[in-house]
Amino acid sequence: MTASPEQTGTIYDIGYRSYDGPRMGRRGAIGAIVAAGLRASFGLGRSGRSKIIPWGAVILGLLPAGVAVAIRVLVGDIVDLYSYENYVWGIGGLLPIFIAAQAPELVVNDLRHRVLPLYFSRPIGRFDYVAAKLIALSLALLSITLVPVLVLFLGRVLAADDLVGAFGDELGALPAIFGSGILHAVVLASLGLAICSLPARRAYAAGAVLAVFLIGGVIGGTLEEVGGGLQAYAPFTNPLSILDGTRQWLFGGGVAESPVTGADVPLEVYGLASALLLAVSLAVLAIRYRRVTT
Amino acid sequence: MPLISTRALTKRYPGVTALDGLSLELEPGIIGLVGANGAGKSTLIKILLGLLPPTEGDASVLDLDTATQGARIRELVGYMPEHDSLPPDVSATEFVSHMARVSGLPAGAARERTADVLRHVGLYEERYRPIGGYSTGMKQRVKLAQALVHDPRLLFLDEPTNGLDPAGRDEMLALIERIGREFGIAVIVASHLLGEIERVATWLVAIDAGRLLQTAPLESFTGQTGQLLIEIEEPAEDLAQRLAIRGYDVRAVGRTLLVDLTAADADARAGIYDAVRDEAVDADLALVRIEAGRHQLEDLFRDGGADDRVA
Repeated sequence: MTASPEQTGTIYDIGYRSYDGPRMGRRGAIGAIVAAGLRASFGLGRSGRSKIIPWGAVILGLLPAGVAVAIRVLVGDIVDLYSYENYVWGIGGLLPIFIAAQAPELVVNDLRHRVLPLYFSRPIGRFDYVAAKLIALSLALLSITLVPVLVLFLGRVLAADDLVGAFGDELGALPAIFGSGILHAVVLASLGLAICSLPARRAYAAGAVLAVFLIGGVIGGTLEEVGGGLQAYAPFTNPLSILDGTRQWLFGGGVAESPVTGADVPLEVYGLASALLLAVSLAVLAIRYRRVTT
Repeated sequence: MPLISTRALTKRYPGVTALDGLSLELEPGIIGLVGANGAGKSTLIKILLGLLPPTEGDASVLDLDTATQGARIRELVGYMPEHDSLPPDVSATEFVSHMARVSGLPAGAARERTADVLRHVGLYEERYRPIGGYSTGMKQRVKLAQALVHDPRLLFLDEPTNGLDPAGRDEMLALIERIGREFGIAVIVASHLLGEIERVATWLVAIDAGRLLQTAPLESFTGQTGQLLIEIEEPAEDLAQRLAIRGYDVRAVGRTLLVDLTAADADARAGIYDAVRDEAVDADLALVRIEAGRHQLEDLFRDGGADDRVA
């Protein structure tokens, strides 16, 4: 039980000290939740086991970029394994895994163990809390949707003989790289948190995330096989292909393996579907957190 | 500047009136907020935290309006809820310092104050272990620590002794008293246990069914009644007669005697203890206790509560 001060060495009771330093209010509070959310997203400050999935996903996401850069340095630009356009699609399978493993860490326990009243009795509103969690998970997802593509970009520039010239050539791709990375991260973070805010336990939440992506993927694959008119619906069963379609609509550049290619649907429709996905996710979060009693 | 002031505060839910025209003016101190479960204590606290808009009336805390300056209020007050509210998989240190930062403290200050506050509430080595393994008493201390860590000017404690064993209750009450008197932080303790509140509070607010029964210094609730209560192991009639012969106004109920000293002169008042002793020895009776009768807080609810309203 409680160890007495004598056993633990010298503890000087200096009495109660008041605090007269700065109070950073709502902004400080949101910053603290974002920072804690980021740490939780990567299993920092937790056991080694909880780092395996997030860091494994990040490393696997970087691997193709690393390989591509290495080939470029060693062999030259004879083959392009990956383009800026198809990279995120190529490693897209890592995203559901990362989200299923880490998004529940951000929201489930606070709901389940009724920690939220302790947050809401502090200088934030309930939507500040949700926004902070969204920012945290979005930033974490950028480690998969943006960082590897930036590595690819840097590799291409640095591997070139004419650095300045290569930088000039590649520079035009940056807006699309950032735009696509942020688009994927924000929409998937919203969707992931919305799904995870509903189940009572982290394991159920993780299962629900995987179910949404896997079942969507399976249905989409079936529709593609069946072909005909049904093939047009295939991309809309999977959040990742909806996002890929949106990326194509905004920044161009097709991906051969994506169901978007075979579906022959006007690209604006993907933009609309993404907006809808985001809106529904945010609405679910709003309703879920409005119902939390303080 | 009053600590808290409310004017005709009313909160209605469909079918239920949780608060009914509550007007209060409270000065800093340890304030007991007593009332049965469902009397409106928690509703009042949530309105004062700026988390719940009142249906009618208004309230201010530390001179800040709860309707418009809720966030500012919540920066300066601490809140310990009634129910369990701790995540099991993080340590007390980690959790409390995170909560300090959510209260707006910079990282360094949060760390320092977390160490201080956990020591004050009596958590030592175990603060580095996950909260899930803590006893109820330790969890209550963590809940108190997170409410205290940002050095609030006012602390709201909702049923802080809930689920504690007698020793745990004593420790929690001692801690509350220390926070109020030594740390100089105003405390509002909500409880349905009048006997506990009585031990620490300097001021008492009693509410029942959302209405104010009384707000007054504790002494006026529990002042001496001028009655002496004597309990013996045998039926009390014999002793009652003996005391009556000595001129005391005595009433016997079973094994208990009530001696009314309000009309007695100074000599009789001073002599009552000796008289009781001598007569008990004479009659060979076993005394169990002698106690000055006090107003019981319960009387408050009996006298001023529901009956009045029905009438």
